[in-house]
Amino acid sequence: MSTAPKVVVTSEFDEDQLSLVDILDHVLNRGIVIRGSVVISLAGVDLVYLGLDAILTSFETAVRHLQAQPRR
Amino acid sequence: MEAELKSRVLYFYGVTQSRPEGKLEEPGVGEGKIEAREFEGITCWVSRVAAAEFERDLARNMENLDWLARAGVAHQRAIGAIASQAEILPARFGTIFHNEESLRNHVGGRLRQLKRDFERVKGADEWGVKVFTAKPAAALPQARSGREYLLAKAALLPKTHNSSESQAELSRFAQALERVALASAEGGTISSGQRGLRFQRSLLVKKSDRKKLQSVLARFSRRWAQVRQIECTGPWPPYSFVSHEGGAK
Repeated sequence: MSTAPKVVVTSEFDEDQLSLVDILDHVLNRGIVIRGSVVISLAGVDLVYLGLDAILTSFETAVRHLQAQPRR
Repeated sequence: MEAELKSRVLYFYGVTQSRPEGKLEEPGVGEGKIEAREFEGITCWVSRVAAAEFERDLARNMENLDWLARAGVAHQRAIGAIASQAEILPARFGTIFHNEESLRNHVGGRLRQLKRDFERVKGADEWGVKVFTAKPAAALPQARSGREYLLAKAALLPKTHNSSESQAELSRFAQALERVALASAEGGTISSGQRGLRFQRSLLVKKSDRKKLQSVLARFSRRWAQVRQIECTGPWPPYSFVSHEGGAK
């Protein structure tokens, strides 16, 4: 059983790379936020989520870098 | 047993209103078995994960793109498997509870909000729609000099970037999408870095209106042939249409 969402109208992007970007976009940035019991907090700022923002930025850079590579 | 439990924490996938009859074969994040916990009329979906990996080292692991990709995909697959059996409010990646009591306290405290979310997404799926500037179909010709190469490359670049005509076309597209959707939301920040991306939107579309969405996409695909490419992913669980109140920013 395949449970991954499908690309209905594809662009010329590599599909594996594309769905990974889309999956991370969904799971990291959205979805209900319920404070778990593990929140690393400093001065009222949740470090786990603070870290997430930094990761999103670095991931975006990594994706740009990958896309700048010559295509197969 | 006690020692083993201490080293495991509960990884949270989301909430459904009912517990489906079907069996769940999909493994969870970290290969653990996905389990249901029912209380106060809702079902929470969790699996046990190693505390060291998801608590102590979480921040460091998330900087490792291989780890993040593996765990992120497992998170979505688990939620997708649950969503194929019951409507789910998906949780954001990396929500961990130390124990069952903590899970009950935190989720139980949000019941009213969760019920409102269930009403909002009832009978609907999320779809992601992106529009890219079409890439040139022709390959670069053999160039005899650097100048010739650059000229040939410039000639292949799409001409319609930010013209007002292009903006008007994209607005028309957005309006056509809004008409078939229950709600729409901004696209994600990670893929906003994709090259040539001109438009990005998440849509909440009733399952019964899926054909209407497809027909809008097909109509604009034909109209934009050679100029823009439309990409649509889905159906996703309604990640973008659940409330974030009370959570960390």
